[in-house]
Amino acid sequence: MSYAYLFKYIIIGDTGVGKSCLLLQFTDKRFQPVHDLTIGVEFGARMITIDGKQIKLQIWDTAGQESFRSITRSYYRGAAGALLVYDITRRDTFNHLTTWLEDARQHSNSNMVIMLIGNKSDLEARREVKKEEGEAFAREHGLIFMETSAKTAANVEEAFINTAKEIYQKIQDGVFDINNEANGIKIGPQHSPASQSLNVGGSGGNQGGNCC
Amino acid sequence: MDYFRKVLGAPQDVQTNSGADTVERLCERVSSSTLLDDRRDAVRALKALSKKFRLEVGTQAMDILLNVLEHDRTDAEIIGYALDTFYHIMSNEPTDEDDVSNVSGHDLGGQFTEIFIKHAENVSLLLSFLEEYDFHVRWPTVKLLTVLLTNRQKELQEIILVVPMGVSRLMDLLSDSREIIRNDALLLLNQLTKGHANIQKIVAFENAFERIIDIIRDEGATDGGIVVEDCLLLLQNLLRNNASNQNFFKEGSYIQKLKPFFQIHDEPHSKQIGWSAQKVTNMHLLLQLVRTLVSPNNPQNQTVACQKVMNQCGLLQDLCSILMASGVPADVLTETINTVSEVIRGSQMNQEYFASVLAPSTPPRPAIVVLLMSMVNEKQPFVLRCAVLYCFQSFLYKNEVGQSQIIQTLLPTAADANSITAGQLLCGGLFSADPLSNWFASVALLHAIVENPTQKEQLLRVQLATSLGSPPVSLLQQCCNMLSQGGKLQTRIGLLMILCGWLSDCPIAVSHFLNNTANVPYLISQVSSSEGDEHEAIVQGLCAFLLGICMLYNDDTSEAFSKTALKQIMQNRIGLESFTDKLSQVAQNESYTRAAKKPHLYHKHPSEIVFDYEFTRLFKSLENEVLKAVSGSGSNMNGRKSGPSTEQYKNLLKEQEDQVLLLRQRIEELQSHAISADKSIVELQRQVQQLKDQNALLKAQKGSLSPASSISSDEVDSLKREVESLRLQLHNSHIFSNTVSDENKENDPDGASVLNVTIARLQSELAHKDEEVLSLRSELDRVNEVLKQKTSEQTAASSSVSNAEVELKLQQTEEKLKLITDERNHLQERLTKSNEENLKLANTIRKLEDEKVDAVNEKENLKEEMDTLKKEQDDLLVLLADQDVKIDKYKTKLKELGQEVEDDDDDDDELGEDNEEDLDAD
Repeated sequence: MSYAYLFKYIIIGDTGVGKSCLLLQFTDKRFQPVHDLTIGVEFGARMITIDGKQIKLQIWDTAGQESFRSITRSYYRGAAGALLVYDITRRDTFNHLTTWLEDARQHSNSNMVIMLIGNKSDLEARREVKKEEGEAFAREHGLIFMETSAKTAANVEEAFINTAKEIYQKIQDGVFDINNEANGIKIGPQHSPASQSLNVGGSGGNQGGNCC
Repeated sequence: MDYFRKVLGAPQDVQTNSGADTVERLCERVSSSTLLDDRRDAVRALKALSKKFRLEVGTQAMDILLNVLEHDRTDAEIIGYALDTFYHIMSNEPTDEDDVSNVSGHDLGGQFTEIFIKHAENVSLLLSFLEEYDFHVRWPTVKLLTVLLTNRQKELQEIILVVPMGVSRLMDLLSDSREIIRNDALLLLNQLTKGHANIQKIVAFENAFERIIDIIRDEGATDGGIVVEDCLLLLQNLLRNNASNQNFFKEGSYIQKLKPFFQIHDEPHSKQIGWSAQKVTNMHLLLQLVRTLVSPNNPQNQTVACQKVMNQCGLLQDLCSILMASGVPADVLTETINTVSEVIRGSQMNQEYFASVLAPSTPPRPAIVVLLMSMVNEKQPFVLRCAVLYCFQSFLYKNEVGQSQIIQTLLPTAADANSITAGQLLCGGLFSADPLSNWFASVALLHAIVENPTQKEQLLRVQLATSLGSPPVSLLQQCCNMLSQGGKLQTRIGLLMILCGWLSDCPIAVSHFLNNTANVPYLISQVSSSEGDEHEAIVQGLCAFLLGICMLYNDDTSEAFSKTALKQIMQNRIGLESFTDKLSQVAQNESYTRAAKKPHLYHKHPSEIVFDYEFTRLFKSLENEVLKAVSGSGSNMNGRKSGPSTEQYKNLLKEQEDQVLLLRQRIEELQSHAISADKSIVELQRQVQQLKDQNALLKAQKGSLSPASSISSDEVDSLKREVESLRLQLHNSHIFSNTVSDENKENDPDGASVLNVTIARLQSELAHKDEEVLSLRSELDRVNEVLKQKTSEQTAASSSVSNAEVELKLQQTEEKLKLITDERNHLQERLTKSNEENLKLANTIRKLEDEKVDAVNEKENLKEEMDTLKKEQDDLLVLLADQDVKIDKYKTKLKELGQEVEDDDDDDDELGEDNEEDLDAD
């Protein structure tokens, strides 16, 4: 149960692009063809390993519908990573990325890692957005990019883990202020040497190599 | 104003007037003073008056104060006064300065709140004040927001949710180092999160669990004061009915963090007088928090996961030690029992642990036994006894091992006769003089055999020694005896419930029951009796149910009461209609509905106890089958055969048993079918809804598409017309050019032929174009047809056509349409090109014509010239003739004169020479 770090993610993007299915595939390893509309925000969690360290991912899956936008905006600030999802078979979901990105950049902390995901890669026949276009968009806006399929599970694991790797790297580089939990990062109990009250001091020790 | 006067009452008029005047004057000062100091003083004075003259200040100063908030932000003091004033006029809580009459039922604060929040910007303004660290601003803002939330919760929640970072800013207050702000923020958050799942989730996302648990720990856990209570209430708010937050709570390992709060330091506390009221409250809330996480009404996987964590982290163990600890107040103990119940309910691991818990008595007894002792003890508080029953039920829920352990203690074994067992206690309760104990014991026993045919049969073996000397009586019979002896309502209902549960699904028990010939007549007499109040009706209904079960699970071993015989008796003695009527009365009863709601026994008074949750489920599942069995046509009416061989009987029995088994299987199958059917219905409904939505969408799309296609057909038509006219034009020009070329042929043969060729080419092009137009039109027709087809398809789509297909087709049509439009554009382009060419040709023709005219003109000129020349020549000829004549004349004259005249030719020369000479001479 113990972990070295805890990262908070959010999943954003237009309605129907498969955000909830991505989460379900990642946490439960199953696919649900007919998924209820997400109301507000739903929660999911899983443990992963990076660099031999246990990392707990807490993921908030948001509703894509416009009417929930004011609710979902509240989640940007406290997240360390965001999966921005579009549907490769629906160009409009790709066209809306700019709006999403603006929204995210405006409300989140500046270090938030954003992973661009073109979902439904299994529906190659109905593809409307080329992979190159996604790559170009990601390059232009400084995002990581991947095409996934929540149905076949292709790249799903990688998408979540690569985002975590990026965050982990940023921590190593000292970019994140890990003592501020508002950044969506928490140091696990096993990282602090003694009691919980020494948490802050302990984390400073762990970080020692970087901050000096 | 009249209304407000009424509120304040007549005798206060004088004072009110003077107060109102002052308020008016102060308002004027605030709004007109240019000096900040003056305004500040006035607002301070308004604040001082705002408690006593709420109404006046509220009605007159609201806008002015809002103005102050907006424009005097830089001065913390004046903002603080203004906020305080608002707080006073919004707050409905009585203050010491208030007269009792002043605090009438009128919701003044609510009305002012409504006015205040009418403009959502006012709330945003307040939220923006939270960024101000100054105590004078932040604290009154927190208080004001709290009172606004208290007065108009729903509206304010929606406003705050929409304000960017609204909830987050409120959450940040929990980190304020000033305790008073932190504590008031807790109250604020409590109001903010009540009944609003989305806000609850955002608050949880902002690390609320962590922060609150930290505060609880820092405040001394359950030993802490009212702040701990507020924290626990907030946690409860965030978790109740919010599966997402519960999941987060579990995933965030917060259950483990609750554990230390349950450790009760037995030694020091037992010596003290007891628990403080605050500690009792805190403990109560803490226990309820645990129950929220494992409530039977939660999604099952959620509850199971939490139960597992609670066992693993030792929380269950701590709870069990509270259960067995001394000095714990009764209501805390009751709640602890309820909590343990829900932590172990349905979880085999936790049930096993619970069975192993020993009470610290000498000799140590199992906790279950100790608890059962309280249940059948009249002197224990009623709610505690209910809790114990609930705990016992939860222990046996889906726990076959536990059930057999309990039944085992009733069976005659070589067990130690001195130790008290659960079985003994239950039997004691069953036959005690206390009706509640009877009820509790029978329900407990019911749960020991429910859905467990093996234990039902085992229980048949139980024999009771009634009194010395007389033969032992079976437990079943003893229950029947007690039932027939009458007794209190709860006793009879309890007994009927255990009998129904026992006999259902257990033909052997039925035959045991029928073997006593007194039982059926008793039931018949009960059901056929028509007297009695509501409670008697329940008993009669239950008797009918029991009778029905006797039929339903009858294996015909009892000759007197075989299935057929029973049916006949029933139909003759009671009547089908009356039977149905009695049976249906059970489910109609209010206490039945109440009990069916949830497994937890939440009765406040002993008289409320009637039905058990598990029994209501049994009743629900069997009611219809009983009715069917009773009303089914009597195919076996031919009666008993005389003297059938035992072999035959056995075969029949076997057959019937097989049949029963088969039927049971089918029932199960059908039930699962029904469940899956239900699921698929829900799914289908959802799909239908989706299809409908998509249909609407498609319709809308079609709506926007069809005008476009009609436009395109219009366009094509107009294009056709254009082509037609162009053709006409071309034709005309062709004719024209033909005539011209005819005329011109001699002058300009080459140009004419070129023109002809061009025209021919144009014509062929035109023909080509015509063809294209035709094909375009046919394609359009086809598209239209497809569209029409699609419309018809769409209307049928909601059930048959899959979305993808429709979508695909639509896409195809869209593509086709695009193709057609493209083609049309192309054609149009070509048309314009040919138009241009035509124009060019016309130009050439005109040029040629011009040229022709020129040529004709030239010809004319030449003719004229020639004419003049001819005329000249003619003149000259005439002149020549004249001269000839003259010469002849001269010649003759000369001849006459004797001069020799030469030939004509010479004459001429000479003449010339002469002339020359003449000239020379000159």
